[in-house]
Amino acid sequence: MKKIVFTLTTLVALAFVFAFTLPSNWSIAPKYNISFTTSGVSGIFKKFDGNIVFDEQNIGAAKFDVTIDVNSINTGNGMQNKHAKGSDWFDAARYPSIKFSSQKFMKVGTAYQVTGNLQVHGITKSASIPFTFKRAGNGGTFEGIFNVNRNDFGIGKPAGEVGDVIKLVVSVPVTKK
Amino acid sequence: MFKRSLFLGILSGLFAGMASLVYQKVYASSLGEDFASIARPAGIIAISLFAGIVAALLYWAFSKWLGNKSEIVFNIVLVVSSFASILAPFAMKLPFDIETPELFPGLIVPMHFFPALAWFTLKPLFIRSERAYQKIFA
Repeated sequence: MKKIVFTLTTLVALAFVFAFTLPSNWSIAPKYNISFTTSGVSGIFKKFDGNIVFDEQNIGAAKFDVTIDVNSINTGNGMQNKHAKGSDWFDAARYPSIKFSSQKFMKVGTAYQVTGNLQVHGITKSASIPFTFKRAGNGGTFEGIFNVNRNDFGIGKPAGEVGDVIKLVVSVPVTKK
Repeated sequence: MFKRSLFLGILSGLFAGMASLVYQKVYASSLGEDFASIARPAGIIAISLFAGIVAALLYWAFSKWLGNKSEIVFNIVLVVSSFASILAPFAMKLPFDIETPELFPGLIVPMHFFPALAWFTLKPLFIRSERAYQKIFA
Protein backbone atom coordinates (compact mmCIF):
# COMPACT_ATOMS: atom_id res chain seq x y z
CA MET A 1 0.00 0.00 0.00
CA LYS A 2 2.84 2.39 0.90
CA LYS A 3 4.50 1.65 -2.45
CA ILE A 4 1.34 2.52 -4.36
CA VAL A 5 0.87 5.79 -2.45
CA PHE A 6 4.53 6.67 -2.99
CA THR A 7 4.35 5.89 -6.72
CA LEU A 8 1.14 7.89 -7.17
CA THR A 9 2.54 10.85 -5.22
CA THR A 10 5.71 10.77 -7.30
CA LEU A 11 3.70 10.65 -10.55
CA VAL A 12 1.49 13.57 -9.48
CA ALA A 13 4.54 15.59 -8.42
CA LEU A 14 6.30 14.86 -11.70
CA ALA A 15 3.21 15.77 -13.71
CA PHE A 16 2.94 19.01 -11.74
CA VAL A 17 6.59 19.93 -12.32
CA PHE A 18 6.41 18.88 -15.98
CA ALA A 19 3.28 20.95 -16.59
CA PHE A 20 5.03 24.06 -15.34
CA THR A 21 8.30 23.55 -17.16
CA LEU A 22 6.90 22.51 -20.55
CA PRO A 23 7.03 25.55 -22.82
CA SER A 24 3.65 26.81 -24.01
CA ASN A 25 2.66 26.46 -27.64
CA TRP A 26 0.64 29.33 -29.00
CA SER A 27 -1.62 29.68 -32.00
CA ILE A 28 -1.59 33.01 -33.81
CA ALA A 29 -5.00 34.67 -33.48
CA PRO A 30 -6.51 36.39 -36.54
CA LYS A 31 -6.30 40.07 -35.52
CA TYR A 32 -2.54 40.47 -35.72
CA ASN A 33 -0.86 43.58 -37.05
CA ILE A 34 2.45 43.73 -38.89
CA SER A 35 2.89 47.33 -39.98
CA PHE A 36 5.80 49.37 -41.24
CA THR A 37 6.51 53.05 -41.62
CA THR A 38 9.29 55.12 -43.06
CA SER A 39 9.45 58.47 -44.76
CA GLY A 40 7.48 58.29 -47.99
CA VAL A 41 5.66 55.03 -47.41
CA SER A 42 3.79 53.02 -44.81
CA GLY A 43 1.76 49.84 -44.91
CA ILE A 44 0.96 46.45 -43.52
CA PHE A 45 1.54 42.81 -44.29
CA LYS A 46 -1.79 41.01 -44.28
CA LYS A 47 -0.55 37.40 -44.09
CA PHE A 48 1.58 36.14 -41.26
CA ASP A 49 2.02 32.63 -39.94
CA GLY A 50 4.34 30.51 -37.87
CA ASN A 51 5.06 28.54 -34.74
CA ILE A 52 5.40 30.26 -31.40
CA VAL A 53 6.63 28.48 -28.31
CA PHE A 54 7.00 30.76 -25.33
CA ASP A 55 6.78 30.60 -21.56
CA GLU A 56 7.82 33.49 -19.34
CA GLN A 57 9.08 30.99 -16.74
CA ASN A 58 11.21 29.09 -19.21
CA ILE A 59 12.44 31.39 -21.94
CA GLY A 60 15.38 29.10 -22.64
CA ALA A 61 12.97 26.72 -24.36
CA ALA A 62 11.17 29.46 -26.32
CA LYS A 63 11.13 29.38 -30.09
CA PHE A 64 9.79 31.71 -32.79
CA ASP A 65 9.56 30.49 -36.37
CA VAL A 66 7.47 32.96 -38.28
CA THR A 67 6.88 33.84 -41.90
CA ILE A 68 5.41 36.91 -43.58
CA ASP A 69 3.90 36.65 -47.06
CA VAL A 70 5.53 39.43 -49.11
CA ASN A 71 2.69 39.33 -51.65
CA SER A 72 0.29 40.37 -48.90
CA ILE A 73 1.88 43.83 -48.62
CA ASN A 74 -0.66 46.66 -48.58
CA THR A 75 0.49 50.26 -48.68
CA GLY A 76 -3.03 51.54 -49.36
CA ASN A 77 -2.10 52.39 -52.95
CA GLY A 78 -2.33 49.94 -55.83
CA MET A 79 0.63 51.33 -57.75
CA GLN A 80 2.83 51.37 -54.63
CA ASN A 81 1.86 47.75 -53.87
CA LYS A 82 2.88 46.67 -57.37
CA HIS A 83 6.10 48.64 -57.10
CA ALA A 84 6.92 47.16 -53.67
CA LYS A 85 6.46 43.61 -54.96
CA GLY A 86 8.55 44.34 -58.07
CA SER A 87 12.14 43.38 -58.76
CA ASP A 88 13.53 46.76 -57.59
CA TRP A 89 12.16 46.23 -54.09
CA PHE A 90 11.02 42.98 -52.45
CA ASP A 91 11.05 40.96 -55.68
CA ALA A 92 8.14 38.89 -54.41
CA ALA A 93 8.23 36.53 -57.39
CA ARG A 94 11.72 35.30 -56.35
CA TYR A 95 11.51 35.91 -52.61
CA PRO A 96 7.88 35.44 -51.58
CA SER A 97 8.55 35.24 -47.83
CA ILE A 98 10.18 37.12 -45.00
CA LYS A 99 11.32 34.64 -42.36
CA PHE A 100 12.45 34.96 -38.80
CA SER A 101 13.84 32.08 -36.82
CA SER A 102 14.81 32.68 -33.20
CA GLN A 103 18.09 31.53 -31.67
CA LYS A 104 18.30 33.18 -28.29
CA PHE A 105 15.89 34.80 -25.84
CA MET A 106 16.77 37.22 -23.06
CA LYS A 107 14.77 38.88 -20.34
CA VAL A 108 15.36 42.64 -20.34
CA GLY A 109 13.66 44.24 -17.34
CA THR A 110 9.98 43.47 -17.68
CA ALA A 111 10.33 42.85 -21.43
CA TYR A 112 12.21 40.33 -23.56
CA GLN A 113 14.58 40.31 -26.46
CA VAL A 114 14.85 37.67 -29.11
CA THR A 115 17.86 37.32 -31.36
CA GLY A 116 17.60 35.26 -34.50
CA ASN A 117 18.00 35.03 -38.22
CA LEU A 118 15.95 37.42 -40.28
CA GLN A 119 15.69 36.52 -43.94
CA VAL A 120 14.46 39.22 -46.30
CA HIS A 121 14.91 39.41 -50.06
CA GLY A 122 16.99 36.22 -49.94
CA ILE A 123 19.52 37.74 -47.53
CA THR A 124 19.83 36.39 -44.00
CA LYS A 125 21.11 38.59 -41.17
CA SER A 126 21.11 38.37 -37.43
CA ALA A 127 18.49 40.61 -35.84
CA SER A 128 17.45 41.41 -32.30
CA ILE A 129 13.83 42.21 -31.61
CA PRO A 130 12.67 43.61 -28.27
CA PHE A 131 9.16 42.54 -27.32
CA THR A 132 6.67 42.30 -24.52
CA PHE A 133 4.21 39.54 -23.74
CA LYS A 134 0.99 40.20 -21.89
CA ARG A 135 -1.07 37.26 -20.77
CA ALA A 136 -4.83 37.55 -20.76
CA GLY A 137 -6.80 34.50 -19.75
CA ASN A 138 -6.15 31.66 -22.13
CA GLY A 139 -4.20 33.87 -24.49
CA GLY A 140 -1.86 36.78 -24.68
CA THR A 141 -0.34 39.36 -26.97
CA PHE A 142 3.21 39.74 -28.21
CA GLU A 143 4.17 43.30 -29.09
CA GLY A 144 7.38 44.65 -30.48
CA ILE A 145 8.77 47.72 -32.21
CA PHE A 146 12.09 47.61 -34.01
CA ASN A 147 13.96 49.08 -36.96
CA VAL A 148 15.33 47.40 -40.04
CA ASN A 149 17.66 49.05 -42.52
CA ARG A 150 16.39 48.04 -45.95
CA ASN A 151 19.89 48.49 -47.43
CA ASP A 152 21.13 45.56 -45.31
CA PHE A 153 18.81 43.34 -47.33
CA GLY A 154 19.30 44.93 -50.74
CA ILE A 155 15.76 46.30 -50.92
CA GLY A 156 15.52 49.28 -53.24
CA LYS A 157 18.31 51.74 -53.80
CA PRO A 158 19.95 53.58 -50.89
CA ALA A 159 18.55 57.03 -50.08
CA GLY A 160 15.84 58.30 -52.41
CA GLU A 161 12.24 59.07 -51.60
CA VAL A 162 11.75 56.07 -49.33
CA GLY A 163 13.63 56.16 -46.04
CA ASP A 164 16.44 53.65 -45.46
CA VAL A 165 15.38 52.73 -41.94
CA ILE A 166 12.00 51.04 -41.72
CA LYS A 167 10.17 51.03 -38.40
CA LEU A 168 8.23 47.84 -37.84
CA VAL A 169 5.42 47.52 -35.34
CA VAL A 170 4.32 44.00 -34.56
CA SER A 171 1.33 43.01 -32.48
CA VAL A 172 0.44 39.34 -32.40
CA PRO A 173 -2.42 38.08 -30.26
CA VAL A 174 -2.15 34.37 -29.45
CA THR A 175 -4.26 31.67 -27.91
CA LYS A 176 -3.06 28.54 -26.18
CA LYS A 177 -2.90 25.42 -28.39
CA MET B 1 -26.62 84.03 -69.09
CA PHE B 2 -25.36 83.53 -65.54
CA LYS B 3 -28.62 81.89 -64.43
CA ARG B 4 -28.72 79.57 -67.44
CA SER B 5 -25.12 78.46 -67.06
CA LEU B 6 -25.56 77.98 -63.31
CA PHE B 7 -28.70 75.91 -63.84
CA LEU B 8 -26.87 73.89 -66.50
CA GLY B 9 -23.98 73.35 -64.06
CA ILE B 10 -26.26 72.18 -61.25
CA LEU B 11 -28.20 69.84 -63.50
CA SER B 12 -24.99 68.49 -65.08
CA GLY B 13 -23.58 67.88 -61.61
CA LEU B 14 -26.69 66.01 -60.49
CA PHE B 15 -26.75 63.92 -63.68
CA ALA B 16 -23.05 63.14 -63.30
CA GLY B 17 -23.61 62.16 -59.66
CA MET B 18 -26.47 59.83 -60.59
CA ALA B 19 -24.46 58.30 -63.43
CA SER B 20 -21.58 57.76 -60.97
CA LEU B 21 -23.86 55.96 -58.51
CA VAL B 22 -25.18 53.71 -61.28
CA TYR B 23 -21.61 53.02 -62.37
CA GLN B 24 -20.62 52.23 -58.78
CA LYS B 25 -23.43 49.64 -58.58
CA VAL B 26 -22.39 48.06 -61.89
CA TYR B 27 -18.73 48.05 -60.81
CA ALA B 28 -19.55 46.46 -57.46
CA SER B 29 -21.70 43.75 -59.01
CA SER B 30 -19.03 42.84 -61.57
CA LEU B 31 -15.86 43.17 -59.48
CA GLY B 32 -17.21 42.72 -55.95
CA GLU B 33 -15.73 45.94 -54.61
CA ASP B 34 -17.66 49.21 -54.29
CA PHE B 35 -15.30 51.14 -51.97
CA ALA B 36 -18.47 52.42 -50.26
CA SER B 37 -16.50 53.40 -47.15
CA ILE B 38 -14.44 55.87 -49.20
CA ALA B 39 -16.70 56.77 -52.14
CA ARG B 40 -19.94 57.40 -50.25
CA PRO B 41 -23.06 58.19 -52.35
CA ALA B 42 -23.56 61.59 -50.66
CA GLY B 43 -19.90 62.44 -51.28
CA ILE B 44 -20.13 61.43 -54.95
CA ILE B 45 -23.22 63.60 -55.49
CA ALA B 46 -21.66 66.54 -53.62
CA ILE B 47 -18.38 66.41 -55.59
CA SER B 48 -20.23 66.06 -58.91
CA LEU B 49 -22.44 69.00 -58.03
CA PHE B 50 -19.38 71.02 -57.04
CA ALA B 51 -17.71 70.19 -60.38
CA GLY B 52 -20.86 71.26 -62.26
CA ILE B 53 -21.08 74.58 -60.40
CA VAL B 54 -17.37 75.30 -60.95
CA ALA B 55 -17.86 74.55 -64.66
CA ALA B 56 -20.84 76.94 -64.74
CA LEU B 57 -18.88 79.74 -63.08
CA LEU B 58 -15.94 79.21 -65.45
CA TYR B 59 -18.24 79.17 -68.47
CA TRP B 60 -19.85 82.41 -67.39
CA ALA B 61 -16.47 84.05 -66.61
CA PHE B 62 -14.95 82.93 -69.94
CA SER B 63 -17.94 84.22 -71.88
CA LYS B 64 -17.45 87.61 -70.21
CA TRP B 65 -13.70 87.82 -70.74
CA LEU B 66 -13.02 85.96 -73.99
CA GLY B 67 -16.05 86.75 -76.15
CA ASN B 68 -16.14 84.59 -79.31
CA LYS B 69 -13.29 82.38 -78.18
CA SER B 70 -14.89 81.50 -74.86
CA GLU B 71 -16.61 78.34 -76.16
CA ILE B 72 -13.49 76.58 -77.43
CA VAL B 73 -11.33 77.73 -74.52
CA PHE B 74 -13.91 76.51 -72.00
CA ASN B 75 -14.26 73.14 -73.74
CA ILE B 76 -10.49 72.64 -73.75
CA VAL B 77 -10.18 73.66 -70.09
CA LEU B 78 -13.03 71.34 -69.07
CA VAL B 79 -11.61 68.33 -70.92
CA VAL B 80 -7.98 68.93 -69.88
CA SER B 81 -8.91 69.47 -66.22
CA SER B 82 -11.10 66.33 -66.24
CA PHE B 83 -8.21 64.39 -67.73
CA ALA B 84 -5.63 65.84 -65.31
CA SER B 85 -7.85 65.10 -62.32
CA ILE B 86 -7.55 61.34 -62.92
CA LEU B 87 -4.08 61.48 -61.36
CA ALA B 88 -5.71 61.97 -57.95
CA PRO B 89 -7.30 58.48 -57.63
CA PHE B 90 -4.04 56.88 -58.76
CA ALA B 91 -2.09 58.75 -56.09
CA MET B 92 -4.67 58.34 -53.34
CA LYS B 93 -3.70 56.32 -50.28
CA LEU B 94 -6.55 54.18 -48.97
CA PRO B 95 -7.01 52.75 -45.47
CA PHE B 96 -5.07 49.51 -44.98
CA ASP B 97 -8.25 47.50 -44.39
CA ILE B 98 -9.15 47.96 -48.05
CA GLU B 99 -8.04 44.64 -49.53
CA THR B 100 -7.66 45.67 -53.18
CA PRO B 101 -6.59 49.30 -53.61
CA GLU B 102 -5.55 48.34 -57.14
CA LEU B 103 -9.23 48.40 -58.16
CA PHE B 104 -9.91 51.90 -56.82
CA PRO B 105 -8.83 53.96 -59.87
CA GLY B 106 -11.02 51.73 -62.08
CA LEU B 107 -14.03 52.90 -60.11
CA ILE B 108 -13.17 56.57 -59.72
CA VAL B 109 -11.45 57.52 -62.99
CA PRO B 110 -14.58 57.22 -65.22
CA MET B 111 -16.51 59.31 -62.68
CA HIS B 112 -14.11 62.18 -63.29
CA PHE B 113 -15.40 62.47 -66.88
CA PHE B 114 -19.11 62.32 -66.05
CA PRO B 115 -19.53 66.06 -65.20
CA ALA B 116 -17.98 67.05 -68.55
CA LEU B 117 -20.09 64.48 -70.42
CA ALA B 118 -23.26 65.69 -68.69
CA TRP B 119 -22.32 69.32 -69.43
CA PHE B 120 -21.77 68.69 -73.14
CA THR B 121 -24.96 66.58 -73.35
CA LEU B 122 -27.24 69.08 -71.63
CA LYS B 123 -25.70 72.30 -72.89
CA PRO B 124 -27.76 72.56 -76.13
CA LEU B 125 -30.91 72.60 -73.96
CA PHE B 126 -29.76 75.69 -72.07
CA ILE B 127 -27.21 77.61 -74.11
CA ARG B 128 -27.39 77.75 -77.86
CA SER B 129 -24.32 78.44 -79.92
CA GLU B 130 -25.00 81.66 -81.85
CA ARG B 131 -23.18 80.41 -84.94
CA ALA B 132 -25.05 77.10 -85.02
CA TYR B 133 -28.31 78.95 -84.43
CA GLN B 134 -27.57 81.29 -87.31
CA LYS B 135 -26.63 78.42 -89.62
CA ILE B 136 -29.79 76.47 -88.87
CA PHE B 137 -32.18 79.36 -89.07
CA ALA B 138 -30.50 81.50 -91.73
